[in-house]
Amino acid sequence: MTKLAVVVTTPPHSNLTTTAIDYITNAIELGVDVIGVFFYQDGVLNASEHLSLPNDEYQTIAHWQALHSDHNVPLFLCITAAEKRGLSDEIESQMSQSNMLSTFTIAGLGELVELSAKTDKLVQF
Amino acid sequence: MTNISHSTPQNGIALLNTSAPFSSSNAKDSIDLALIFGSYELAPSLFFFSDGVLQLIDNIDGDKISIKDFTKTFSALEFYDIEQVYVCEESLKQRGLSKVQLIENVEVLSNEQFSQKLASHKQVLKF
Repeated sequence: MTKLAVVVTTPPHSNLTTTAIDYITNAIELGVDVIGVFFYQDGVLNASEHLSLPNDEYQTIAHWQALHSDHNVPLFLCITAAEKRGLSDEIESQMSQSNMLSTFTIAGLGELVELSAKTDKLVQF
Repeated sequence: MTNISHSTPQNGIALLNTSAPFSSSNAKDSIDLALIFGSYELAPSLFFFSDGVLQLIDNIDGDKISIKDFTKTFSALEFYDIEQVYVCEESLKQRGLSKVQLIENVEVLSNEQFSQKLASHKQVLKF
């Protein structure tokens, strides 16, 4: 089974993110083993819990959740990039709490290196 | 797997840099990733194309425009065994630059050599 890893650097409102989801969905249907999606740069915003897109637009965040829950696709995000963009998974005080979706796994760039080493094909959006 | 080269890619990962150094975070995000690959002993090849060549100008200083100057990191590349650094000659010419204005230890390649070298890598990430 061919292994595929995907790097997403575009935010949820980008049409390229929609294309990434379509690409991954089709790959799964064709029997490709999607070993992980790594979110870097503005891609980390896809993990934002409070982000909402207009109802009549493509619901990228819901689709990532579905890819994870229906197909067990691991979703890794670069914590440094996330924190730069106001996302946090830590409850540091009573005032602050996580605003990151729990379907995403907190990771560092080392995770991307490991995906790169394990995969047959690496595709960036 | 579809190869973009005529022969099977032999090399690991290439990071293709096409952004000017300080107008976005692309350049810094790319070098950060390069060093992580290097620390895993999977040294990436670095390619500089289009506005990306501006990152390699010697003595540029982001600090003067209040931006953290990640370009100092280029001098640390050899400690991470990152020795494959390629620059597109055409991109330099288009910007009125030549090799003497760049930092040391970079290899300037013609368009054809540049694309062949890039195609010899199994994976490419673009910043």
